[in-house]
This record gives sequence, C-alpha cells and structure tokens, in this order.
Amino acid sequence: MEDFWYEFIEIIQTIGDGLLFGSTYALIGIGFTLIFGAMGKLNMSYAAAAIAGAYSGLAAFVLIDAPLFLVFLISSFASAVLGYLLYLCCFRFIPSSNHLAALMASVGGLFLIDELIVHATQGSPLTFPSIFEDSYFEIGPFGIRGDLLFVFLIGLVSTGILLYVLFRTRLGLATRAVAQQDVAARLCGIGVHKTNSMTFAIAGLLGGIAGAMTAAAVGVLSPVMTVPLTIKGLIVTVIGGLGSIPGAIIAGLFVGGFENVFLYVRGIDERDMYVVALLFIFLVFRPNGLFSKTITRD
Amino acid sequence: MKKITQLLMAGLLVSFFIFAQNSFAADRSVKVLGWGAKSGPLKSFGVNSEAALRSAVDQINSAGGVRMGDGTMVPMEVIGYEDSSCKKDQAIAILRKTASTTDAVVGMGTTCSGVCQAMFGVLQKKVGDTSDSGLQMPILADTCIRPGLAKISDWAFRNVPNEVSMYDELFAWLKKTHPNVKTFTGGSETDQGHSFGTYTAIIVQKAIKAGFEWVGPSVSQLGPKVGQGKKELIAAAKSQHWLMGDTNYTVQARKIKKQNADMVIVASHPFSACGMLKEMKRQRIKPKMLVGLTSSASQETLNGCMKAAEGIIIPTGFAPITAEANKANGIVAKAGGFLDLHSSAAWENAYLVKTAVERASLMGTPNSLQQDRMNFRNALASITAMDGLIGPVTRDPDSGEATKPYVYAQVVNGKWKVIHDPRG
Repeated sequence: MEDFWYEFIEIIQTIGDGLLFGSTYALIGIGFTLIFGAMGKLNMSYAAAAIAGAYSGLAAFVLIDAPLFLVFLISSFASAVLGYLLYLCCFRFIPSSNHLAALMASVGGLFLIDELIVHATQGSPLTFPSIFEDSYFEIGPFGIRGDLLFVFLIGLVSTGILLYVLFRTRLGLATRAVAQQDVAARLCGIGVHKTNSMTFAIAGLLGGIAGAMTAAAVGVLSPVMTVPLTIKGLIVTVIGGLGSIPGAIIAGLFVGGFENVFLYVRGIDERDMYVVALLFIFLVFRPNGLFSKTITRD
Repeated sequence: MKKITQLLMAGLLVSFFIFAQNSFAADRSVKVLGWGAKSGPLKSFGVNSEAALRSAVDQINSAGGVRMGDGTMVPMEVIGYEDSSCKKDQAIAILRKTASTTDAVVGMGTTCSGVCQAMFGVLQKKVGDTSDSGLQMPILADTCIRPGLAKISDWAFRNVPNEVSMYDELFAWLKKTHPNVKTFTGGSETDQGHSFGTYTAIIVQKAIKAGFEWVGPSVSQLGPKVGQGKKELIAAAKSQHWLMGDTNYTVQARKIKKQNADMVIVASHPFSACGMLKEMKRQRIKPKMLVGLTSSASQETLNGCMKAAEGIIIPTGFAPITAEANKANGIVAKAGGFLDLHSSAAWENAYLVKTAVERASLMGTPNSLQQDRMNFRNALASITAMDGLIGPVTRDPDSGEATKPYVYAQVVNGKWKVIHDPRG
C-alpha cells in the first residue's frame, strides 16, 4: 500500500512538473497557431526566431550587464523584429495560394537562423541568467519549482494579453477579419499585409518570451534547443487544433505532462519516441486536433 | 690574384652550401595536425586541447625544436586544428584528409570516445598486414578516455588515464576516510558513450567493490567486477538517466532523492552534470558525498554551476601540483585555454611527439613521408615511459593503454582543490 501511495504521489508530481514545463511549449504553440490562424500557413522558423531572440537578450546581459527584466524585454522585441523579417522573406512575396513554397521558405529560415547561432557561438551552450533558481515550494509530499511556476504565470498573463488584443482591439479585429476572409477584409479597407506583418511581430513577441523563459528555466541557451522546440511547438499546434489558441494552451500543458510521465514510466531513451508518436496518432486519427473546427471558407 | 679569386670562389661555395643547408632546415618541420570538438556542447574540450597543443609546441620550438635523423634541428608545426564536432563521420573525414593530402606525420586528438572508436576502426589493424587496406597514419589521442580503445589498431595511441584504477582507488580511499558514507546511487547521460559506459561498467562496480551499498533500483546481478550486471543496471535504472541536451531533470532528481543515498554519483559531462546538480540543489537533495565523472573536473563545471557543484569529488589526471604543471597551466591560460585532465594530455603529447621523432630519426622530406610515419609509429610503440606534467606516465605495450598519475579534486569554495594524491 505504501508503494502504491508513493507511486501515486510520484505520478502526480511528475505530471505537475510536466504541466509547468509545458507552459513554454504552450507559448510556442500559441505563436504557431496565431500565424496559422491569420494566414493559414505554418511558420517553421518560429521557434528558431524565439531562441534567436533569447540570444539577443543574453547578449545584452553579457555586454551591458542588463537587468533581468530588460533581458526578457530585449528577447521579446528581438524575436518580434525577426518575426517581421521572416514574414517579409518567407511569406510576403510568395503567392498566398502557394502553401508549399511558403512552408519550405520558413524551413529554410529555421536552418539559416540555427546556422547563424551556431556560427556566432560555435554551438557552445551559454549560461542564461536564471530566475528564482533556488525557489522550491514544498506542499506536503509535493514540490513546485518556483521558476517554472513563474514561467507558467507569465504564460497565462501573455495569453490573457494576447486574447485581449485579439478580441478587444482594432488590430485584433483586423487580424480576425483577415483570417476569416482576406478579400472581404481588404474590401473593408483593412491592410492585409500590414495586419499579417503585425501578427508575425506579435507572435514573435510571445516567442521571445517563451525562448527566454525556456532558457531561464534550463539555465543555459544552446542552438540544440531550436529543433526540439520546433517539433514540440508543431506537436502542440496539431494536438490543440491548428488555429485554436485555447487548444494550443491545453495541448502545450498536455505534451509537457505526457513526456514527463513517459520519462518516469519508460525511461529517457523512449520518452521522445512516445511524444512523436502522439503527433503521428493525431495526424492520422484526428487531424483537426482537439479543438479546431472544420474550416470552411467561401 | 688568381689564388685570391680561387679562395673567394671557394668561400662563396662553402657559404652557399651552409646557407642552402640552413634554409633547407628552416623549410623543414615536423608537421602535426590536430582535431577535436570545437563546436557543440563539448566545444571546450577541443578549444582547450588546441590551446595546450599549440602552447607546448611553441615551448618546444623556443627551446630549439626537434632533432631530425640527419642531426638538424627543425621546428614542430601544428598545420591545423580541425573541428570534428564530436561527430564520427566528420572525424573520419578529417583523418582521411590528413592521411592523404597533408604531410602531417601524426594526427592528434580527438574528443569523444565513440568518435575515436569509429576513427581507429578505419586504421590498419596490424602493422605490416598487406591484406588490410586500412589507413597507415599514426594517431595520438588525448581526450577519448573509454577503456580498451587502444587495442583497435596498432596505429592508435592514447595518453589518457585509466578510469578503472582511478575509480577503484578513489572509492577505496573514500570508504576508508568517510566510514559514515555507506550507501550510493546515481545517474548518467545515456547518449554519451564514455559517461554511460564508465558509469554502468566501472563506477558502480568499483563503488560496490569498495563496500558501498547500491540503493538504486534493485539489480541482483551487480557486483565488484568491471561490467558486472551492466545490462541489468541499464534496464533497471532507466528513469534516473538523462540525455546530454536535456532541459528538465525533475523526474531523475526525485528518483535519486527517494533513494536517500549517502553518496550520489553524477556521471556526466559538464553541460548536463550542471543541469542535474542544479535540480538536485533545487530539490534540496543533500547527500553526504557527491562524486563526478573524470571529464567534469574542469573549469566548464565551475562556469556552469559553481554553487551546485560545491563539494563534488572527481579523480583527475591533472592539477597544478608540480612546478612543471604550474608553468604549463599559466602558459595555456595565457593562450586562452584551460589545462585539465584531457588538455594536459595534449600538452604532454607534443613532447611525446618530439621524443618519438628524435628516436625514429625522421628525415622530414616529401619523399620520406610514408616511411617517416611508419618509423614514427614504431618509435611511439617503443616508448613505454615518459615524464608527464604531474608525474611519470607509462604505457603497457600489450594493451596499448597508458597509466597516468592522478589526484582527487574537490570543488571547495567555488574552486577546484586537490584533496588527495594517492601516491602519497
């Protein structure tokens, strides 16, 4: 019986840790889904831009000894600028009907950013300033990492702000209008390209926060993080449903919890196999994900 | 007048020959080419080995260089230090290029045991075996430390410590000096051959041999012999290991916390060792003793997690405990590197090359390259003892493995401190 309770507590704790860490996946997933919702296209270079943004924040920390809040701010804005540039390079001038070209251009963007980071840092991991590194709250048999709790709260706040922008501002109205029918939006006087570029920049802001949060939680920043974050972001987007922001949040937390449970049950060598299998299963059996509605345009 | 002209002519002729010989000597050099990880998570290994190798070569050259077979003194030259990035295919490509397109007499490096294993595999296995078309290029390794690799080829040489004896003596000493430490557990990174192999085949077994009790997941087959119960240990403890690039260690740390061992072993390279140590600190895991992997006895660990690593004990083949080691340490630091267990071997290897070249009577001409490589290999094989930075280094001609002196270092107040020298 004692063993049962121990295992029960451990599983709950494992899921809890995973959920908290999953909030970074959720932030990345929201960025993916925001761009997909607005343009109907996947920006594969999104997570790489998020990590590149975090590197910019780190550069400010190293070069001018910037305080933590400035590090996060710079990470966020740098990622927004990168998001805007990626929109110009990979989406703006490619015909909207050519989905494959835009997808491949953004894959190219992912590898280019990755290579630029490797070139600049020789691929070596760099220490990122941690937040609440030593804070650990113990509640009965359970423990909660303070830094992950902070990441989780920042994720919630960011999502709240994003939802406010989307549903309570003219920019959000324009974004939703372009997402629903870009021709009609244009006829109403909405600048489609301006709205799309703003969407990329806002998604970039969010990505920069996610990149900096992930680096702060881990304590290091490394280019080896870009591809796994891209994969996790994609998995989250697919499971949550392409275009669904609540879906991305829930799926992000779910993927975080899921991978931790499989680490606990099956060990480190099999953990990622099950997470990727989850993507495969959703794509085959529920391609619209958990929350996405069937999109019917025109 | 005629006589004076003849004397002048003779003088000019002699001067010409002297000048020609000097300029020939100046053009000649003993060329070596190094490679190691200069990018990726193990970048510091390659960077430090390169700095150590180049610094040692500078010292040799400023002391006169290397004596060739015809008696002339020539400089040693590092014609390059390539980035093998801890990737097997990259290292093999560099080895092939070095053997076929350069006049390097020896290849020096490289980072990562798995890479060395693959690279040594493309060398000719037995010298003189005409049926074996493997590369005939001497390789002198400084970093890849996994036991047994030198047996792969007669062309492969290693100046790396023997981890079996290092951990054997370390645990025996810890048992004697810390009788209150009775139980142990630990974890490692599964995607790094050296860390995981050493942990599952040597470290755990040697701790058991010394009398410590394993309190990790139950593995009845575990015992004191090297490799005993390794397969079963890997299967049973799979949830308390991690990957080198991992970002979340909560599950592994909690498993270890539950086992409540007196001694925790974190057998991992600095990047992931720091991740795990930070998580252990966060979860308030305070074992009586922390033991680490040889490769983590480096500045990299202090840079990454000085506070979390406080108290960790690691056996290491280098510490500035002799005048020679102290001097080398200062020189390499000025060159932008750190001397540690691995890079100190790169320093020693430069002097080993000098000794072997002088013993082999190399000619160092373009026409003699293949013969020079063979003579160099034979000379290297004949060397069974040399002066290392912290003491004599010997080599067993049968196994090809080196035996190096080592000390036990501990992080004390954020700095590495030598706490014991087994030689007394």
